[in-house]
Amino acid sequence: MQTARLAFRNLSRQKRRSFLLGGAIAFGVMIVTLIDGFAGAFVDNVSENFSNLLAGHVFVEGVEKSPKGRDLDIIRDDAALREAAEAAGIEAKYVSRRSALQGSLKFAGRTASLAVQGVDFAAESFLAERLALASGSLDNLPRDGIVIPEPIADKLGVETGDRLLVTTRTYSGQQNVGEFAVAAVIKDPGILGSISAYATRDYVNELLDLAPDEYQALSFYLPSLSGMDEAGDRLHAEVSSRLQTFEREAPGAEGENPILAMMRGEDEETWTGVKYRVTTLNDALAQVQQIVDVLETASLVILLVLFLIIMVGITNTFRIIMYERIREIGTMRAVGMQRGQVRGLFLWEALFLALGGAVAGLAAASLVMLGVGLIDFGLDSPLFIILKNGHMSFRLDWASVALKVAIVAFLTLAAAFLPARSAAKLDPAVALRTAV
Amino acid sequence: MSIIELAEVRKTYPLGKTEVQAVKGVSFRIERGDFISIAGPSGSGKTTILNMIGLVDRPSGGEVLIEGKPTSKLADRELTTLRHETLGFIFQSFNLIPVLNVRENVEFPLLLGAKRQPRKEAAEWVDFLIEEVGLSDWKGHRSNELSGGQRQRVAIARALVTKPKIVLADEPTANLDSATGEQIIELMKKINRDLETTFIFSTHDAKIVDIADHVVRLRDGLVTENFRRERAGAEA
Ligand SMILES: Nc1ncnc2c1ncn2[C@@H]1O[C@H](COP(=O)(O)OP(=O)(O)O)[C@@H](O)[C@H]1O
Ligand SMILES: [Mg+2]
Repeated sequence: MQTARLAFRNLSRQKRRSFLLGGAIAFGVMIVTLIDGFAGAFVDNVSENFSNLLAGHVFVEGVEKSPKGRDLDIIRDDAALREAAEAAGIEAKYVSRRSALQGSLKFAGRTASLAVQGVDFAAESFLAERLALASGSLDNLPRDGIVIPEPIADKLGVETGDRLLVTTRTYSGQQNVGEFAVAAVIKDPGILGSISAYATRDYVNELLDLAPDEYQALSFYLPSLSGMDEAGDRLHAEVSSRLQTFEREAPGAEGENPILAMMRGEDEETWTGVKYRVTTLNDALAQVQQIVDVLETASLVILLVLFLIIMVGITNTFRIIMYERIREIGTMRAVGMQRGQVRGLFLWEALFLALGGAVAGLAAASLVMLGVGLIDFGLDSPLFIILKNGHMSFRLDWASVALKVAIVAFLTLAAAFLPARSAAKLDPAVALRTAV
Repeated sequence: MSIIELAEVRKTYPLGKTEVQAVKGVSFRIERGDFISIAGPSGSGKTTILNMIGLVDRPSGGEVLIEGKPTSKLADRELTTLRHETLGFIFQSFNLIPVLNVRENVEFPLLLGAKRQPRKEAAEWVDFLIEEVGLSDWKGHRSNELSGGQRQRVAIARALVTKPKIVLADEPTANLDSATGEQIIELMKKINRDLETTFIFSTHDAKIVDIADHVVRLRDGLVTENFRRERAGAEA
């Protein structure tokens, strides 16, 4: 019977009390684990969803100043960008070159506004794989074919084969009108997907008054999220050596939204020709990372606050335990237990309580995660951007879990330390004659 | 050399602003193999003296010598080690550890010291002692499943497990009916003969005092009588 085993059995003496204290510890651990798990998955899911929405991880846009000083989106020199991408060693899984118009679609007196992405479907074969169609097909897409999301189709009351009127503006701001033929309807695309439709880049360019070889946004979809900033930096350097570029700002510099900062900055300057901007998904996600940082700090603060309260309970309980077992302590001291062993007995008991509570808390958190993960929020949920395929998901960093468990164990031991020391310091004669 | 010697031992307890003189200068010797009764009415200082002999309490004055060695200057750690190696304890209220079963209670002191016996030897010794106190069928039971007499038998086995030279028992029969009490004293006497362990027990029961071969009688913290009975088989 080692001290540890005796301590373990002592825990079972007052089951209700042990369950209450262990339960409090478990509750704290569960809350913190849930926050951590949520924060961990949050950044993953948002990145994933953003990269799907934005069709990539590293982006190049071109901006030209109109004679009136307006910013016009256009990429004119694709050859130089290709060279730059190659020189920068960008190994993209997919590359997309898109134009986009913002327009009103009209059908039988009904109107819907949305963004129409002009896509080179032959080059972006992956897009066809990703779009789940409710009706129609992307094969043999006519030049004026359009693929619209289901909510828009419902709103306009159109089916595949119907023709729509579109009013829009050219890239330089002139009114323009055209006609689309509904080629396919996208099934349940989610909240952000439902404001974009897809059409051929040729026809979108025509409506925007762009040349067939011109476009507005170049995106690289990288094989993985890591290395995206380095890729962005290399690409920026290569583009800068060939074309005019905007400064590349560090993501989230000084806590400012880098996109807002860039937008503000460009109003003041003027230039001729096209100036190129290289951004990455991380620039857009800088804000997301800040949220994650806040969540992680909050989880640590909650852990500490909860445990300060729990520690008071632990200290008091161990004091009570000391008085309840005072004669037993006297007996053990009499038969040869050293002070340090008495202290050890208490601390082992506290450690088992902490570990038991932590394991129970982790188990409870796992169950909650599993349960919440089963709920289908649907792809059109307003939470879409933080979900994974419409489900809440969690990701735990095991090193951080281990650290939190260690903190919990340490705090529990600290809380039990003073009562343990008092128990060890008891005069055996006093302990033996104290009636309980 | 006496196994225990008390030399002018005094003990005062603080009591409010004054103090109580519980033991007022007591000297006597205990010889190896004695079966000695510290007798006296309640409040006469029996527990106080046994605690000082047992090194769980320190005298306010005088000296307790164990095997000729003075103990008043020893540190807590050394006293604890000395208790563990030399002394066994039997208490009035048995004081078994409730979460441990009979066997574990008996074994408990063996697991405290720095020295470890070989496992098999220790296990055989524990079983022998349990057999000796007649609890072989109760090894797996916890103390709340035992009668008072059985509990005190467990306590006796526990007191002997470290093979101490001296066993101290403060009113070991006070919480038992008289028949059971006598059986317990007889058991202690048998072990005293078989293992030659020195037994020191306190009591205020005259019938039990009669079984002792050495009696130290106390009254108000002073020795009033100290005598040996000559008996067949008892050492002088
Ligand atoms: N902790 C204490 N504080 C004050 N007085 C005590 C304390 N312990 C014992 N006494 C007093 O010392 C005297 C001897 O007590 P004790 O040794 O317990 O006697 P006994 O065991 O013979 O009944 C008694 O008068 C008792 O009241
Ligand atoms: Mg007493």
